[in-house]
Amino acid sequence: QDRRLTGKITGVDGPVPGANVVLKGTQTGTATDADGNYALNIRGASPVLVISAIGFKTLEVAVGNRTSVDVKLEDDATALSEVVVTGYSTENRRDVTGAVSTVKPAQLKVVPSTNVEQQLQGRVAGVTVITNGQPGTTSQVRVRGFGSFGGNQPLYVVDGVPTQSIQYIAPDDIESTTVLKDAASASVYGARAASGVIVLTTKKGQRRAQKLSISYDGLYGVTDPGHGQKILTPQEQADWTWQARKNDIFQAGGTVGPTSFTGIANGQYGSGQTPVLPDYLLVGNQTGVSASAVNLEAERAKYNINPANGAIYNVIPANKAGTDWYGAITRVAPLMRHTLGFSGGTESSRFYLSLGMQKQAGIITYNDFSRYTLRVNTEFDITKKLRFGENVQLAYVSATGLQGSTGSTLGNGTNNNSSVAADENDILLAFRQAPIIPVYNAFGGYAGTAASGFNNARNPVANRIGAKDNINYNLIAFGNAYLEYDVIPALTLRSSLGGTYFSNYNNAYNRSQYENSENNTNYVYNESSNVGLAWTFTNTAQYKQKFGIHDVSVLAGIEALNTGSGRGISGSGLNPFTTDPNYVTIGTTTPGATRSVNSYYGKGNNFYSLFAQARYTFNDKYILTGVVRRDGSSQFGSQNRYGVFPAVSAAWRLSSEDFMKNLPWVSDLKVRGGYGLMGNSNYLSSTNQYNLFGSNAGNSYDITGANTSVQAGYYRSQIGNAAAKWETSITSNVGIDGAFFNNKLEVVLDFWQKDTKDLLYPLALPGVVGVRANAPYVNVASMRNKGIDLLITTRGNVVGDLGYEVTAVGSILDNKITAIAPSVPYFTANGQRLSSPVVRNQPGHDLSSFYGYNVIGLFNSKAEVDGAPTQPGAAPGRFRYQDINGDGKIDDADRTFLGSPIPKFTGSLTLTLKYKGFDLNTQVYASLGNKIFNNSKWYTDFYPSFPGAAVSQRVKDSWLPTHTDTKVPIFENTSNFSTNTESNSYYVENGSYGRMQYLTLGYTFPASVLNRANLSRLRLSLSATNLFTITKYSGLDPAVGGSADQNFGIDIGNYPVTRGYNVGLSFGF
Amino acid sequence: TGQLASNQLTSKAGLEGILLSSYAQLNGRGFSRATSSYNWVRGSVSGGEANKGSNSGDGGGNTNFSTFQRYEILPTNGDINDKWRGMYEGISRANAVLRTLPSASADVSDADKKRLAAEARFLRGHYYFELKRSFNMVPYIDETLDYGTGIELVKNDVDIWPKIEEDFKFAQDNLPETQGAAGRANKWAATAYLAKTYLYQKKYTAAKPLFDQVIANGKTTNGKKYGLVANYTDVFNAAKDNSEESVFAIQAAVNTGDVANSAQELDLNFPYNTGSNGPAGCCGFFAPSFELANSFRVNANGLPLLDGSYNSGANQLKNDQGIDSKAAFTPDAGPVDPRLDWSIGRRGIPYLDWMVHPGLDWIRDQSYAGPFSPKKFVFYRSQDKSLTDGSSWTDGYSAINYNIIRYADVLLMAAEAEIEAGSLEVARGYINQVRTRAANADAWVKTSDGKNAANYVISNYTTPFASKDDALAAVRFERKLELSGEGHRFYDLVRWGIAAPVLNAFLSYESQKLPLGYSGAKFTAGKDEYFPIPQVQMDLQKGIFKQNPGY
Repeated sequence: QDRRLTGKITGVDGPVPGANVVLKGTQTGTATDADGNYALNIRGASPVLVISAIGFKTLEVAVGNRTSVDVKLEDDATALSEVVVTGYSTENRRDVTGAVSTVKPAQLKVVPSTNVEQQLQGRVAGVTVITNGQPGTTSQVRVRGFGSFGGNQPLYVVDGVPTQSIQYIAPDDIESTTVLKDAASASVYGARAASGVIVLTTKKGQRRAQKLSISYDGLYGVTDPGHGQKILTPQEQADWTWQARKNDIFQAGGTVGPTSFTGIANGQYGSGQTPVLPDYLLVGNQTGVSASAVNLEAERAKYNINPANGAIYNVIPANKAGTDWYGAITRVAPLMRHTLGFSGGTESSRFYLSLGMQKQAGIITYNDFSRYTLRVNTEFDITKKLRFGENVQLAYVSATGLQGSTGSTLGNGTNNNSSVAADENDILLAFRQAPIIPVYNAFGGYAGTAASGFNNARNPVANRIGAKDNINYNLIAFGNAYLEYDVIPALTLRSSLGGTYFSNYNNAYNRSQYENSENNTNYVYNESSNVGLAWTFTNTAQYKQKFGIHDVSVLAGIEALNTGSGRGISGSGLNPFTTDPNYVTIGTTTPGATRSVNSYYGKGNNFYSLFAQARYTFNDKYILTGVVRRDGSSQFGSQNRYGVFPAVSAAWRLSSEDFMKNLPWVSDLKVRGGYGLMGNSNYLSSTNQYNLFGSNAGNSYDITGANTSVQAGYYRSQIGNAAAKWETSITSNVGIDGAFFNNKLEVVLDFWQKDTKDLLYPLALPGVVGVRANAPYVNVASMRNKGIDLLITTRGNVVGDLGYEVTAVGSILDNKITAIAPSVPYFTANGQRLSSPVVRNQPGHDLSSFYGYNVIGLFNSKAEVDGAPTQPGAAPGRFRYQDINGDGKIDDADRTFLGSPIPKFTGSLTLTLKYKGFDLNTQVYASLGNKIFNNSKWYTDFYPSFPGAAVSQRVKDSWLPTHTDTKVPIFENTSNFSTNTESNSYYVENGSYGRMQYLTLGYTFPASVLNRANLSRLRLSLSATNLFTITKYSGLDPAVGGSADQNFGIDIGNYPVTRGYNVGLSFGF
Repeated sequence: TGQLASNQLTSKAGLEGILLSSYAQLNGRGFSRATSSYNWVRGSVSGGEANKGSNSGDGGGNTNFSTFQRYEILPTNGDINDKWRGMYEGISRANAVLRTLPSASADVSDADKKRLAAEARFLRGHYYFELKRSFNMVPYIDETLDYGTGIELVKNDVDIWPKIEEDFKFAQDNLPETQGAAGRANKWAATAYLAKTYLYQKKYTAAKPLFDQVIANGKTTNGKKYGLVANYTDVFNAAKDNSEESVFAIQAAVNTGDVANSAQELDLNFPYNTGSNGPAGCCGFFAPSFELANSFRVNANGLPLLDGSYNSGANQLKNDQGIDSKAAFTPDAGPVDPRLDWSIGRRGIPYLDWMVHPGLDWIRDQSYAGPFSPKKFVFYRSQDKSLTDGSSWTDGYSAINYNIIRYADVLLMAAEAEIEAGSLEVARGYINQVRTRAANADAWVKTSDGKNAANYVISNYTTPFASKDDALAAVRFERKLELSGEGHRFYDLVRWGIAAPVLNAFLSYESQKLPLGYSGAKFTAGKDEYFPIPQVQMDLQKGIFKQNPGY
């Protein structure tokens, strides 16, 4: 007979929220609310509660015939005894045989970033997070390396519902985060688990009669943009422009003469032997004008920046002090986050409701992120054995002023790649726009490269302001509803229907420009929106029973889902009557041919799956787990539609053996090993099996000669492969979980290897086939990742009340492509503006390895050039490349691998100190052993790239006949193989860095104070984030993202992660 | 999801659509700017008519056009791979028409089938012609081969000229004389192209009767008898597209939802930083060469200096290299062919209807690109935003057609065939037809006060050519003057067998003017006439291709 049990779980510092209370030997259990209270229906003759909570020692309490059990947990409990939520089931950490990591919610919350993905950085051994500082950006989260050429994002499971993004989850709503890393733990998710699974659960209420409890968590702060790259001042740039001409003359073997400096920089600096900064860069169509020649009032009358009123007449004074363009597009950016939580329940129901908002400004102006969320989690007992519940989240997420592609939103793709780092964006422009140009002209309009001589950068401030009215938002409804039925106490059936409804809307006003050398003089208005629905229907049966010393747990399930079908529409038009954003719509743009409209739809991929998991534990010593899942996906042709993904794992708890009992310093020790298969099809489009023809505006033709209209053309858009089958990763994992010295020291160590075979790769089509057709994806490639994941925690008291906890997380990763395709020796990816590809993916090397010529120095003399292997364009001061094949000439056969963007080691050290109510948290993150391709140097270090554009301070150290001890090549107006056109090792830099991610000081008020204020919890905190970064990297920030998984680590306009300061307040009552 | 299966395209509309997609590849869309059948990079830059332009490091994408002006093209060059891929894309689309025709549905009449096949084979012939003269030895793929049926096993060991001839012959025999849509190939375009194919093989006797027919009876697809338009500049005016001079053209269109339909390969080829006083303002590419500018020098009789003396002393065209736009400059006062100022933008001369070219202010990096701007294929102020497409990053997407063959070209090719046949007088007549049109003083560039902008002098060859060599020299120079900047010159030099001496002479002259762009460059006979087979394609097809000599 069931009966009701209530109680309160407390720890040293007061109530313990989120503690797991489980009736031993069953899966009946609950978690405590914000005040540490719980309520549970119990049964059986001698019920025992197992109480566990993160940071506390797990306790077993015999209930006897009590109806209320209050428990005080001992601090310093080992993490090895926590409860692990794996989505389909919940397990005690003791019984886990696979590679599983958890992250404490408090650790996530301390990072004030907008999304949970970024907060995971450095938290979990074996998880790599490639991200940047842009609020609203999509990060690349990679669990245990890179198993595929695309689609390597992990599967997220939120409250049991799989999803592709967790951008819309409010961090304060998260109750648990679990990362399933190997097949033994993840293959219950089968085909979608190959890249790991991250399982999140959100907070629940408690099932007991209670008053409403309310909690508030708030965070306020700012982010400081720091400083930009070091750029030459206007006078220095003029001097170096003259030096470039002198260097040209030196290379040609000539001498400097009276006319040597004519025509440089369109005469802005005169043509004398030394350059003279002008007072005005542009007056009408005159460049390089002195102030004495300008009557500003007369010019004001001629001034015109509206093309509708006739020719543009701009008046741009010189900013001789130099414009700090990075400063001009950045700001000290505020952020705030508020979460209001309500939880409560009755004897037969529980609920949790939260309202959350986060507003975060990017350090780049007009880059803003905001998110408003509503979460409602409820559960009701319909009968004693039948429960109904739901978890629903509504979110409004707006991210405006983003730079770079930000990755796919929900449902419309499978590759959450962003590439802000690789774009020629406003951050790059800030380093390209010459400092002598002011932001504004003499009369308040924009200044820019319309003043000739400074090449083609566009005014980045004008760009930012032009984007200020752009709108971009997503509306998302995500969640599930479920029924649970306890057939017998040990057997529970569960049926869940979940899904995501998403819609996106955005518009963009693109101003017509007049201030630049290269202007688009049309005002272009774009608008688009799309909607979609993804759903998952899951039915499971779970049986858990203990027979004496035999403990059995079985899970079986059936699942059907669609990854997201939807539709979208977009349109654009030009030059409305007025550019007032309140007026502009597609309908008010110029009618006729310049308006265009498009729409599209996708059907998503259907999956159908059967799965089962069984665990047997003998005498708490030997644990054996088996998992198998069979998945079918509509992405594949009928003959290969289904894949079966089994895994086995076992563990031996040595510490339960008698011979270990006399080693008192061993608190707990478990050795475990697992082997299994996981699948992947993320990289595959839903239509891969079909031969398709397509039609679009870009493949149409004006066959009638009408000049402003076209007729549709149909071209082969895809060559299908009906024989494609699942990618399979074979993973093996050996690990130990150990706790020593009365749990003062914990170690979790895993050695793992993941071999991905039958990797889908879009076979490069020979040109003769017609490459405009997408190539069929064929199972030809393979990749190997192996590594070591380590977590060490030690805790204790330094002295008296001063307690500490130190956690070190480290992972070593070794990635290799082992095969691409018999006919494909390698494939490449380009940087920007370089003649040869920057990235080469080739068997035997890391994914996305940098490739090019190895610079072994600079030529120091003509004699040295003559004595060296023949190299096109070689001359003193230019790059000298290594003759790799030793054939006496440098050509494209002499390129080599220059490094990998994949860190060999990532890890963090987290320190917590506690003294009475005070706590101090800090974390240092390190990413070691990777390289960065600093493509931005092409723009800032070489005169001929875009002569007149801003120049890096590095050039001051450039080669001169009198200064040969340097690595920076001669500054001259020659662009060739030996200067700036090739991918070479000059651009490749050490990307290792260490960063103090945060330092937080918190104070939790003692219960005595709280009681007087009727509060159950009150905490204040101060923190600083990204306090310092130790790196040799010369770019803005060594955290460089990119388009994983084929092309990343290339820095062109990377959005830096910079220092921030925050204040936090949370309380409950 | 907005896609079609091939069996949905067997109707007349479906087949027409596949055919149109093959036409669409004429401008090389989706590949490099050097892919287009215009060939401004290979034909004109490698031909010494212009340099890449812009500044030294600005390449035009992930490529480096300067390798084309310096003959430093490596097998790994991305542009040549794009030329290869772009042309085969066109071929694969033409083959798709031919492959689908046998299963055409009942609504496709026999006449339609014949025409569709003929248009597809015309286009296939064109794309192979482009491949032949670019790469020389290339694999020949017809409609019987496709992905999965051995397409990757075809070697480049057979001369494909006969195949190209077959396609153009089929097109000549089966295409109608006129068609409803002006952009379609017709019988006369096929005939002219077949003759051009013979000319490239030096089969002059086969070419001559075809040219005779084209000149006597040829008409455009829209029914105009072939002729020269009265005003030379109308050939390069979007509003005058598909004139009687247009034998076969790439149709360009703007504001169609995608700039790929415009003259997209020319988007960089405008003067630099012109503001609203000039067209597009970007990017200063395709700057005409000093040598080309000098070539327009004429003697007092208005005839070109065939002895090459235009490159020496005072014969050289005066220019504003090294002179600030604020400093005074008077343009050359000597006698010049009027086509100079239709072809080359230079300081002091009105730049279409925009303004007088200001020199340095419109030049991006004079020390690299020289003082001149491109002028053909530049749109007029009056057409800005109506015949240009403003939906992309630059305004430089125009609706100006490029004539793959225009009638003046036909006349000059016919003149070559006549000279080889010994009929020098007929050839002289053809050359003089071209010169007579250029002598239309009404069309000469005028200053704002209505006077000729320069000292234009032009006359016909009034006396018979003294020899075949003299005649050849005249016709070859006439091609240079008439067709400059239109992507023909390099291929002409190669087929005449004089590429190495002419281009090395060009380099030695031009490198004095623009050492930054040209010094150290060299044309190697026996190698630089053709692109290398792209390394990527060699690798993808596992070494079945034989690389061209010298690479």
